[in-house]
Amino acid sequence: MDVSATKRRLLKVIFLGDSGVGKTSLMNRYVYKKFNLQYKATIGADFMTKELRIDDQLVTLQVWDTAGQERFQSLGAAFYRGADCCVFVYDVNVTKSFESLSSWHEEFLKQAEPADPKAFPFLLLGNKIDVDDGHSRAVSEKRARQWCDSRGSMPYFETSAKQDYNVNEAFICIAKAALTNEEEQEPYFESISESVSEVETRGGGGCAC
Amino acid sequence: MVKKRVPDWLNSSLWSSAPSVDDDRLHRYTSEPAATTSSPEPVVQPPVPVPPPSATTAVVRTESPKSDTRDSRGNNNVTNDDNGTSSGPSAEDVSRQAQLLVELSKKIINLRELRKIASQGIPDGPGIRSTVWKLLLGYLPPDRGLWTSELAKKRSQYKHFKDELLMNPSEISRRSEKAKSYEHDETNKGPLSRSEISQEEHPLSLGKTSIWNQYFQDSEIIEQIDRDVKRTHPDMHFFSGDSSLAKSNQEALRNILIVFAKLNPGIRYVQGMNEILAPLFYVFRSDPDEDNAASAEADTFFCFVELLSGFRDHFCQQLDNSVVGIRATITKLSQLLKEHDEELWRHLEITTKVNPQFYAFRWITLLLTQEFNFADSLHIWDTILSDPEGPLETLLRICCSMLILIRRRLLAGDFTANLKLLQHYPPANISHLLYVANKLRKQPSI
Repeated sequence: MDVSATKRRLLKVIFLGDSGVGKTSLMNRYVYKKFNLQYKATIGADFMTKELRIDDQLVTLQVWDTAGQERFQSLGAAFYRGADCCVFVYDVNVTKSFESLSSWHEEFLKQAEPADPKAFPFLLLGNKIDVDDGHSRAVSEKRARQWCDSRGSMPYFETSAKQDYNVNEAFICIAKAALTNEEEQEPYFESISESVSEVETRGGGGCAC
Repeated sequence: MVKKRVPDWLNSSLWSSAPSVDDDRLHRYTSEPAATTSSPEPVVQPPVPVPPPSATTAVVRTESPKSDTRDSRGNNNVTNDDNGTSSGPSAEDVSRQAQLLVELSKKIINLRELRKIASQGIPDGPGIRSTVWKLLLGYLPPDRGLWTSELAKKRSQYKHFKDELLMNPSEISRRSEKAKSYEHDETNKGPLSRSEISQEEHPLSLGKTSIWNQYFQDSEIIEQIDRDVKRTHPDMHFFSGDSSLAKSNQEALRNILIVFAKLNPGIRYVQGMNEILAPLFYVFRSDPDEDNAASAEADTFFCFVELLSGFRDHFCQQLDNSVVGIRATITKLSQLLKEHDEELWRHLEITTKVNPQFYAFRWITLLLTQEFNFADSLHIWDTILSDPEGPLETLLRICCSMLILIRRRLLAGDFTANLKLLQHYPPANISHLLYVANKLRKQPSI
């Protein structure tokens, strides 16, 4: 067996988006398979890990759930640094949470300073599609996809953390996208080897299938 | 901070009087230099249009708190024993409760003495914590003779704030219209004339001075407050659920946060403030004295303002990189740890690269309300509020002790294990934690 295939890659993923769009819920749904209507507001950032296998590659996703309120943005740099993938979340029922996406995008690029901003993997999740059977929906899928296209064909998923719809699929895509990020070895994880011979080189849009 | 226990504004002859002292703090908190507030303390002066005449004549009722009944109980039970070292923690608690009751029954309460007893923890006796916290926060004056009038004054003041600040603009217009029509034309009993809406008062006016413009800005904050109030302690019936108790308690938290946000335009509402509010409100609302319980909302508001006066820089984004901001405070914690346990400091920050910001941000801004169960948080707050070194220094010593108490696990852990452990602090013996924190103080203990 190829040694490199057994080495685990550690991938750092950041969740960003307005307060109350369901970042904590999505992560809890994926990592702990549970849902709760009332998670406390996230203060600072919470941290979870999940191990998975992507095409024979063992991966540890290190997911950072950040606070949604604008006040906490200036503290973001410490949390953003070294990220391999950044996931934006909005609530399909709240227009404002969609309109904030561009400023979250800019904020991330400014604070995380990825080596190659154009190639850095981003994803967009439109959450809470279950609410009122979709009747209270304020942002159309088309509009969301247009925004994604204007940002270098960012992959897009519509999800419901409550009904566990599309959450797993979204996280697989997140992990694949993060694997494509050719980051230098992170200072935090010197003990973990990153000598992987081959890294997935699929384009971001490829995982939407 | 220790010296500034009771801020001047709390003792000043009611807030309505014109402030005289110049305080540069205002300029730090208000976002625009040309803000309409002319008061030196943003906390005091509501940035709202001139109140309608009707609102200014709030009735000041003199209530007599029933808490006086405690005197006899306290005096009978206790024979001033020096300290409760006798037998077991429960006996200690009983003795401490007795000591507190004696202290509380004095005509003029000795705050130093009160701090000394309370810093060991306040037993859950009926209403004791409620009274002691109000004293420690400077809301109740040490002279018991002043309590009745002070409370009446403050409670009416808060009612006044609510009347002014919780109204929507159409109510404001209607009220001032009404007031005007009474002033100018009391005899007009004919057909109702259409009230003229000035440019400033039209909902679609985009003018900066439009009260509606202000209203729409506020409504965003109010939405945020609503969202967070609903998820305050979702596991406690007192705060959460569909019961009328929970509903009315949520309403109280909401009112307080809105009034605070409007009185402090430089800070407004920051997520997490609801968590700091919750213990205060819970303790005051649970006071067996009915008057106190009924006025818990007003009392909580003033105590919240006082408590935050020592911490509000942490909530101010503009100060994040200043020497008083949250980053500087986190650095202080890091230095404190280095001073007391360099090996642990090195392992955390150098070897495993756990940036203290990853865990201490929440510990500090929310005053440890999220790291322990509710009862334990109250116990920790007894010490934070009463320690003579002041709330911030005390909080940092307690945080440092939290790290030291689990040092063996931390020293064995890597980045992931340590961060998980620190973000989900394991259940701890709080008395022991506070004992360790007390040992870390520079000066000989009190």
